[in-house]
Amino acid sequence: MDELTAAVLSNALVLAAEEASIVVVRAAFSTFIVEGSDAAAAVLDAQGRLVAQSAATSLAHAYSLKASVASLLEDHPPATMVAGDVFVMNDSYRGGIHANDLVIFQPVFVDGEARWFAGTLIHVADLGGSSAGGMHATATDIFQEGVQLPPVRLTPELLKILALNSRSPDEMLGDVQALVAGTTAGCRRLDALIAEHGAELLAEGIEEHLDRTERLVRHELVTLADGTYRGGYVIDDDGIHDQSLDIAVTVTVAGDGATVDFTGTSPHVSAAINSSLSQTMSGAFYALRCFLDGSIPVNDGMFRPFDVRVPEGCLLNPRAPMPTGGRFIAVYAVVDAVLEALSQARPDRAVAASGILTPFTLASVESAPTPWLQMAFEFGGVGARRGKDGVDGTGMHFGLGRSMVPQVEPVELRCPLRIESVEVIDGSGGDGRWRGGRGTRTTYLLLDDAVATFRCDRHRNPPPGREGGQPGRPGGYFVIHAGGGPERLPDKAANVRLSAGDRFVIETSGGGGFGIQEGTTA
Amino acid sequence: MSALLGVDIGGTFTDIVVVDDGGRATFGKLLTTPEDPAAAFVDGALDALARAGVAPADVTRVAHATTLATNVILERRGVPVAFVTTAGFRSLLTLGRASRTGDQRFDLFFDAEESPVPEDRCFEVPERLGPLGVVVEPLDETAAAAVVDRIAELGVASVAVCLLHAYANPVHERRLGELLEARLPGVPVVLSSEVWPELREHDRAATTVMSAYVGPVMAGYLDDLGRRLGAVGVRAPIHVMDSGGGVMSAALASRRAVRTIESGPAAGVVAAARTGARAGIGDVLSFDMGGTTAKAAVVRGGRPELTYDFRVGGSASGGGHGGGLPIKVPAVDLVEVGSGGGSIAWVDPAGTLRVGPRSAGADPGPACYGRGGTRPTVTDADLMLGYLDPAGVAGGSVLLHPDRSEAALQEHVAGPLGMSVLEAAAAVHDLANALMGDAVHIVTVQRGIDPRRFTLVALGGAGPMHAARIAERFAIDRVLVPVGTGVGSALGLLTTDVTTERSHALVAPLDALDPAAVAALLAEVERACLADLEVGTDDVVVERSVDARYRGQGHDLNVGAPSGEVNAAWLAAVGDAFHARYAERYGSATPRPVEVVAVRVRVRQPVPPADVTVTGGEGRPPSKRPAWFADAGGFVPTEVHHRDALAAGDCVSGPAIVQEPEATVVVPPSWSATVDIRGDLMLERARG
Repeated sequence: MDELTAAVLSNALVLAAEEASIVVVRAAFSTFIVEGSDAAAAVLDAQGRLVAQSAATSLAHAYSLKASVASLLEDHPPATMVAGDVFVMNDSYRGGIHANDLVIFQPVFVDGEARWFAGTLIHVADLGGSSAGGMHATATDIFQEGVQLPPVRLTPELLKILALNSRSPDEMLGDVQALVAGTTAGCRRLDALIAEHGAELLAEGIEEHLDRTERLVRHELVTLADGTYRGGYVIDDDGIHDQSLDIAVTVTVAGDGATVDFTGTSPHVSAAINSSLSQTMSGAFYALRCFLDGSIPVNDGMFRPFDVRVPEGCLLNPRAPMPTGGRFIAVYAVVDAVLEALSQARPDRAVAASGILTPFTLASVESAPTPWLQMAFEFGGVGARRGKDGVDGTGMHFGLGRSMVPQVEPVELRCPLRIESVEVIDGSGGDGRWRGGRGTRTTYLLLDDAVATFRCDRHRNPPPGREGGQPGRPGGYFVIHAGGGPERLPDKAANVRLSAGDRFVIETSGGGGFGIQEGTTA
Repeated sequence: MSALLGVDIGGTFTDIVVVDDGGRATFGKLLTTPEDPAAAFVDGALDALARAGVAPADVTRVAHATTLATNVILERRGVPVAFVTTAGFRSLLTLGRASRTGDQRFDLFFDAEESPVPEDRCFEVPERLGPLGVVVEPLDETAAAAVVDRIAELGVASVAVCLLHAYANPVHERRLGELLEARLPGVPVVLSSEVWPELREHDRAATTVMSAYVGPVMAGYLDDLGRRLGAVGVRAPIHVMDSGGGVMSAALASRRAVRTIESGPAAGVVAAARTGARAGIGDVLSFDMGGTTAKAAVVRGGRPELTYDFRVGGSASGGGHGGGLPIKVPAVDLVEVGSGGGSIAWVDPAGTLRVGPRSAGADPGPACYGRGGTRPTVTDADLMLGYLDPAGVAGGSVLLHPDRSEAALQEHVAGPLGMSVLEAAAAVHDLANALMGDAVHIVTVQRGIDPRRFTLVALGGAGPMHAARIAERFAIDRVLVPVGTGVGSALGLLTTDVTTERSHALVAPLDALDPAAVAALLAEVERACLADLEVGTDDVVVERSVDARYRGQGHDLNVGAPSGEVNAAWLAAVGDAFHARYAERYGSATPRPVEVVAVRVRVRQPVPPADVTVTGGEGRPPSKRPAWFADAGGFVPTEVHHRDALAAGDCVSGPAIVQEPEATVVVPPSWSATVDIRGDLMLERARG
């Protein structure tokens, strides 16, 4: 294949995924994904390979659609698919993430045979379970987390079932409509490519695109020193049992390939923080990517040089019916553990630990005449880097930026909440030769009774420093009753009842410091 | 004899157009003088006026596009600003809302977005409004006075004020403004409720701060320019291009400096629209190729599309989520990608040819400029392929050295890829077309618009050299190359109406709106627009539009709203327009309730368009040189026509090159070019 055709096809494939993501994000109703934070779109093929991934959506889902399409193909061989089919699923143990993350696939046919798929995924507004908006922080099995869907055809009857199980059926149906609009846009683009270049040339272009990506990754891996590097992360607790949990990773770099082994990680728990396998893989690949050239596309070719081993039944590859709705804690632990391991392989690119994502949900009480829901998150400080302080209130969250933090005015317009302040917490970044980024404090005044659901980590074991740097200041969730002072809430809790006049305070952790501060001794 | 003067200052070249009252045009192109942009402006203008035989005093209007505001923001060289906001939100700008996109997402060493206002110049005052503008806590006058005192001690050059929910009620901002102005005479105070009275405090604050930051620089520049033009005898009013496709008085431009962002590219889109209109074509795609970027935009029914989500300073400028600081101004919805004539070609470690995003810019420039550049650029490839005349570009002011292009291509592309220099040049040219075509792709296919029914209008010195090939990719069969395409944006300036636009937040379900209240709000916004233009209601065109979404969505769409009385039928028409627009963008509309977010009013005072006609037919006879056309078998002897030798009705069959002092048109095999009655060149592809 000539250079130009290869380049044109690679660009076109990525743009097809991009177009699908733009449509789904802009047409969505769930405010949680408005900035593309919990969404993904991709082009995949009938062999279950990821061909192209949208660049404008969260990298937390870099592997989700690939893992899901495998189950789709298992249950529905391509030969059984017909024009007009649209599939939906969310099964956590078969490629899904958690109940609220709906995945949609739509086939692209060549001569009546399904050859490729457009896939989209977003966190929909509500799909049942025992906590509004999903992600019940103290669930003990998956049945408390919402409706489970194996890969099935999206029919009007199924939509009725989903609507009946949602607290906000209109918005949920609007989200499904947005997901399908996204896959339709992606399919349209692929159809146009097939019409323009022919299916065989497109198929050839895809092989070339994946092979080139693989070569680029292997070329980069050679620059890492061969060796075995270990990383870890201690999770404070799972929200149910008062015990810490370990994430362990061993990265072995050998030539132009690497093995990433999570043996040594704690067993799964009957608590929400388990990470489904697709999420573990996404986290691991995100962290690995941070040590490669950033312009390398995300597709199957990027995955090939890595052998990722995740023991079944551990926290990062749970068995049914362990819940997975609080998975982001384990996923960030994966990211941080791999970053720690690779910081040893590339000391010049070493980073200290960051404050992790600090999500929360405020929702109306059952008796409220008009239900409302505010799902959002705040960011902790970025860990200090060799030669550089950390960034305030941004975290190291799959490359997300502060644009994911909602602006105050639209929230106050939509919900009976008044945001009184969003402040930087001075002195919260870990000291060191380079200082960790500072955490933030956000104060919500409740104008109506509400329930709060929240879960975070690194509040007991704050983000550690590196090479003698100090840990960041731990964050936490607090309530201030009228006339009182701040009272610390648990770090993982569901449906905490709050009254009008209470203040709900979210503090994020500062990032770890790096190196020993001049003028001090270790 | 009276004349109009249009001047577009770009990153590499300053383009000049003089059009006299007989429709005769004189063009000029000279290198931009970045340290003192007015120098090239005045020199180039005097030269062009002399060649046109027009006395400076006979210039009746000066229209100007400038990159000043964009550069001041990108280079962070505005004036020192103090920022005041509601208590609790002093970190609003320093925390920022940076989005990390593309490669940045994997960068563990990323930097925080630098705030235009350092932390120690951000202040907060106790006060609070609720979402509908209800006063929850009155402005604390004592605390406010203390803040004003502290700002006075700083000696800042301007002050920006953005209080929460001020879009709904400006009462506290206005009072604070009074206190500041009383204590700081002569220091401009910019209020968010005045600049952009819409929802979303960070976007509003960023826009307000940028107005305060760039305004004094713009005012100083325009004052100086006016004086220097006056000194050489040009005393006509100066109109400055805005990003939304209109021009405004120098006085208004000084107050609204942020609205001049991307004014040059916007002028190009206006030129494309005008070119289409002259040929009786309402739907055109504007394709404008410069030294470091290429721009594309959609024009439908003769009107450029507008966006209200413009960002500056990210990986790419344009509407949407590309990172950078949000500047809430109406902007022509164009997409700018980092590929142009100066983009550098290279081979990555996996052996893949890449073009850009690094550019050789004007300094050192492409290898063939002979100014020290050693990396091969798209311009070098175009020269090797025989498209560019070695005798030079920009009217011969820059001579070209093919040997340097050859050496650069050999070392950095042909050698590593094991191919000939010509094959390498062809690959670079084709890949550049693919990348620049992505701009067209984004504004059409990605927005659900079928490009095939459009005519591509090619602008810029190099635009028509690449346009036909880009058209082929999208199955577009017609490419229109206007007279003066090499200075197309400058020409566009002279066909641009004097325009202002204002908006106001109005968040409510469409079916719950009170027509009388909407009418009152529209009238208030319209009055403010007329005050901007300093005109009455005669001779102006008033256009209304509404931002709306389905209730519950986070993103909205702008749709046109009828003129005339606001009543139930008016509201129904807005709803219909929204459903139709939504279906176009996202595939299908739904019967959900519609929510209005804001209203907008745009007031235009039409100017008589400067229509340029070139008679031609008196230039040099055609010559021949070898040029590369893969579909004609490689290097083939190619006729080179001089544009001024072609008369109306003349037709040239590809492969051919049409050359003019400021631009080069490549007519590939299976294309032909016909000169129309106005002198514009229509390229058409024979299907077969």
